[in-house]
Amino acid sequence: MSRHALLIVLSLLTLFPVILIVSTTLKTRQDVKVNPFGLFSTFSFENLERAWTVGDFGSYLLDSVLLTVPSTALAVVLSTMGGYAFARLPFPGRSVAFYLVVLGLLVPFFAYMIPLYFQLRSMGLLDTLIGVVLVLTSTGLSFGTFFMRAFFSDLPEELDQAARIDGASEARIFTQVMLPLATPGIGTLTVFTFLQNWNNFLVPLLYLPGGEYRPLTTGLYLFAGGRSVDIGPLAAGALITILPVVVLFIGLQRQVTEGFLSGAVKG
Amino acid sequence: MRTSTTPPVTRRAQARLGLALVVPLVLIIAVFFLFPLGNALYYSLLDYNGVNPTPPFVGLANYVELATDPALLPALANNILWIVVGTAAPMLIGFALALLMWRVRRGSTFYRIALFLPYILPTVAVGVVWGWIYDPIRGWLNAALRGIGLGGLATGWLGNPDTALYAVLATAVWTATGFVFVVLLSSLQNVDSELLDAARMDGANGAQRVWYVVLPQIMPVFLMILTLTLVGGFSVFDIIFVMTGGGPANATEVLGTYAYSSAFQLNRISYGTALALVISVLAIPFAVALNRLQRRLSLQGMGT
Repeated sequence: MSRHALLIVLSLLTLFPVILIVSTTLKTRQDVKVNPFGLFSTFSFENLERAWTVGDFGSYLLDSVLLTVPSTALAVVLSTMGGYAFARLPFPGRSVAFYLVVLGLLVPFFAYMIPLYFQLRSMGLLDTLIGVVLVLTSTGLSFGTFFMRAFFSDLPEELDQAARIDGASEARIFTQVMLPLATPGIGTLTVFTFLQNWNNFLVPLLYLPGGEYRPLTTGLYLFAGGRSVDIGPLAAGALITILPVVVLFIGLQRQVTEGFLSGAVKG
Repeated sequence: MRTSTTPPVTRRAQARLGLALVVPLVLIIAVFFLFPLGNALYYSLLDYNGVNPTPPFVGLANYVELATDPALLPALANNILWIVVGTAAPMLIGFALALLMWRVRRGSTFYRIALFLPYILPTVAVGVVWGWIYDPIRGWLNAALRGIGLGGLATGWLGNPDTALYAVLATAVWTATGFVFVVLLSSLQNVDSELLDAARMDGANGAQRVWYVVLPQIMPVFLMILTLTLVGGFSVFDIIFVMTGGGPANATEVLGTYAYSSAFQLNRISYGTALALVISVLAIPFAVALNRLQRRLSLQGMGT
């Protein structure tokens, strides 16, 4: 019993910063001025409203979606294709290609982020959605391919042999036999990659310097650093930034934890 | 593992499909990872300021300057402190939490969600809210200290050069502990309970059972987390950049923030690139060790 009491106290202490964000968001403007961090003393949606209109968080949210959804989809599709090929299809140059792809697991983004800035600039991709989508995609590919390859390697070999005897083409074996079996892995990878891209700060910070497009992470950073910070809308902005992550985690707890446990290689 | 009995027709079809599936992936990796990585090596041998169209080739001059840069050692020392404390604290707290949760069934989903959540929150939001907790006037930390009669310790945690690094570090520990906790908890499920019972019968007390029976069995996982933190510790950037930007008075400057400000604030592109490369090279031995370890763990069926 006392073990539960202790665990509840520790859980609430851990959650305290999140509770603080929610509490400050839901205060009236007047209350924020007097007592910004007192818990749940008043109730209103004024701060959310102001974050949305004055703070531009509506457009940050849109940009987050426009960056995260395509880059996640692209990374998962390419990783699944590549993972399957590396796991089950012999082709010339396979091991060299695989090593080049998973080299990304060893080399931090830090190593090449500066030259990538100038490369994007000369390609005309700096400050564009497509450029940042492609960079985000590439940062997810090493782990994704590594992960999906392991997943496809674990499927029994008899499966494709049986399908082949039945006269199925290689493409058909991939799409109709193997892909359905890989759905759990694809699901976990999708959730994990989505969170990574949603939370990514450095990539939009570096490659969207102009501010025409700005996702929630760099938007919140800019808002927090502004002159005479307005704490109420700032809290609301922080809430808008973390809410999709929290909801996704509570809804898909198993996939998220699994993804991060196997994603540990990424650091 | 294809057998040689695979007919040539099948093998050709497999090779065709394999290449087709891999080409888009390799193309993106080549353009957005391998090419800039090669370029990083090249940049570090130039004196590029981001504007000059034909930057002069300076050989190893950037690396020589790095070796004698007086700003580098304090930053590296901060990284090392970051790695030591940022590894030890989450491991100890996470292990204690995992032991506490071990075999708890009721409410375990809630505890897991609550304790793991900080690990997946966007860093910027984490920085914002911890900034409030550390607020010198209205922050909860100072209020709590005053409440227990330690008001003398109250300070502007992020603005005081003596406390800033520890304050950011404490936030990082808060985010990392949940991860360690979940990893260790899942490896505790594999601990042999018969051995534990035997130890209990032999009169081993709780601490002895943890030390002699539990710890040796989950040691590989401990090592994995250790290498993992070491890999990340050299290139730590986001949380410090967001909370203090390396200040006050460079008190929280680490290699990552120094590389960033060299390149993007002082326009010393080549120097920043050389530094970023050195940071990466520092981490690579640990990353290799980590990969080895994980391969071994998954062979033993303990990896995740």
